[in-house]
Amino acid sequence: MTRRQFALLSGAAIVGGYGGLQLQKVRKPPRLPDGPPGNSAVAIIRARSYSDDLVSRMLEGIRQCGLDVRGKRILLKPNLVEFDLATPINTNARVIAAALEVFHHLGAAEVKIGEGPGHRRDTLDMADDARYRETIPKFESIFTDLNRDDVSPVKGFGGEQEFYFPNTVLAADLIVSLAKMKTHHWAGATLSMKNFFGVVPGSVYGWPKNKLHYYGIPESIVALNRQFGKKSFAIVDGVIGMEGNGPIQGTPKPVGVLVMGSDLVAVDSTCCRVMGIDPEKVGYLRMAADLGHVRPERIEQRGETIASVHTNFALIDDYKDLRLV
Amino acid sequence: MGELYLESRLEFLRASQNPDGGWSYFAGKGSWLEPTTYAMLALHGTGSDPALDRAWKLVRSWQLPDGSFQPSGEVKDGTWVTALAVTLARVRGVGDGSVRASVDWLLRVVGAEHNWWTRTGSFLHLIKARLDVSHQGWPWRDGNATWIEPTAHTLVALKKVAGNYRAADVERRIRDGEELVLSRSCTDGGWNYGTPNMLYVDLPSYPETTALALLGLDGVEDPEVIQGLEVARRFHAETKSSLGKAWLQIALRCHGKDLAAPQDSAWVPKAPSRDVMLAALEALGHPKGNYKLFRAAGGAMGGQA
Repeated sequence: MTRRQFALLSGAAIVGGYGGLQLQKVRKPPRLPDGPPGNSAVAIIRARSYSDDLVSRMLEGIRQCGLDVRGKRILLKPNLVEFDLATPINTNARVIAAALEVFHHLGAAEVKIGEGPGHRRDTLDMADDARYRETIPKFESIFTDLNRDDVSPVKGFGGEQEFYFPNTVLAADLIVSLAKMKTHHWAGATLSMKNFFGVVPGSVYGWPKNKLHYYGIPESIVALNRQFGKKSFAIVDGVIGMEGNGPIQGTPKPVGVLVMGSDLVAVDSTCCRVMGIDPEKVGYLRMAADLGHVRPERIEQRGETIASVHTNFALIDDYKDLRLV
Repeated sequence: MGELYLESRLEFLRASQNPDGGWSYFAGKGSWLEPTTYAMLALHGTGSDPALDRAWKLVRSWQLPDGSFQPSGEVKDGTWVTALAVTLARVRGVGDGSVRASVDWLLRVVGAEHNWWTRTGSFLHLIKARLDVSHQGWPWRDGNATWIEPTAHTLVALKKVAGNYRAADVERRIRDGEELVLSRSCTDGGWNYGTPNMLYVDLPSYPETTALALLGLDGVEDPEVIQGLEVARRFHAETKSSLGKAWLQIALRCHGKDLAAPQDSAWVPKAPSRDVMLAALEALGHPKGNYKLFRAAGGAMGGQA
């Protein structure tokens, strides 16, 4: 074979492979497995603005989900990525402040906040921009930059012999994923499960956690939730979400909800349905179907119904086929 | 002018050295190679030699058999911090076999996107980004993609050994790395973390990455560098990011740009985080600080690499 023939054949193979991938994306996915035993409770609580009484709303949602945090060491994991005054990239400071108050009120032994942003910025300055320091009492004394925390190895994560996680994360009894309701240009949607990217230390794996991109974004999301999902609770800030080219360059999308639950797969599936995205077509949710519930008949919806708060999020062209029909 | 600013930061660094000789990202935690390097560079030539000798001994204990360096005692994998260790070695005048092993490792490592498949995909417009994948650059970890920050740090390190060891190979990787950085400047003239464009949307530049890109481009005469320096000046005037400002001061001063000395304020760490790395970088970026150690000719060059 000549070099020219080889190049042409290779090019054709790539084009063919790409075309096959596109076809695979639009084909109706096969039925998902049943998932773990029992059903999962997910609460959708109305919060029309950040000026609402978020503490009461959150307490209502947590009560509906039956979460007991007495005596537990809790780590609140917000989504602090980058700051842009024009669009709501990060979990709103008032949602974090409310969660802090709620978990103290419910008898947690300790409540800390930790985040390891995907971009290498001065995390505390970014927290300043996002108004965390002025809104959250004693923020500096309870915050840990997870990118630069001391770490310990965990065996078997993602097929690695050893994978390192921040000690603050490993020491928590319960991690509360305080995620933002956003579309995502690589994953379709970024919610409570994808938010766990922030627990991977940049000091070991670089920024923006590039190792996970090579492992595969859906695969990494599922592996992180396999690691931490059992000791997690989700509160998704959907008061104002982000649509379009998320997670950074999208546009604001008011929804007016907080979505909560102990089954993060079910919470994210519910969020997707609220956003007009079919969770059964989202790669990482399909892959996580053994960890939690994606199918609606296995999710006990508490609080508001999905129909009453549903609003289609704008999707970039690559993800138009995720639209819930 | 600015003596208190500099001295208070150096004093904080002296006081926050760990018993094992290293420095942590935040005072009171375990030692890591990155903050240890910046602290050692900041304290270089300030009469802290016994402390720096202890630190250097610790750093050397983190070298792996393949020449790379662990980022800390706990983490057993070699990463981009190998470049920092080479810079540190050259500043200390060390150029022995262990440094050569590190340089070999740096010369071997390339960004993972520099492969036949990605280049073919790029040629066929299957990659939805304005991205030149013809250059190699350096990743945070071997096997991952090229990013601006590790590439810049490695350029700084290799320029310190240029002409002393595997001269042609080092020179080739330096030129190629510089071309990579130049090819990835954003439309606004600065630099983003990796690519200037994703999904055909232009991405903005950031203060930290613009500063580091300019450090990597030290000695390069190119219109992109001149434009980048203007962007860096604007960032320096406007950014609220302490980390960004510190790196910008280092980069702009290395490029000979005249900046006013920072306000003569004492180091007041954002309690209780006590950011050691930030203190070291702010000290390095002071007009009387050791910022020149990031330049190719900065520091002692006595040893033969």
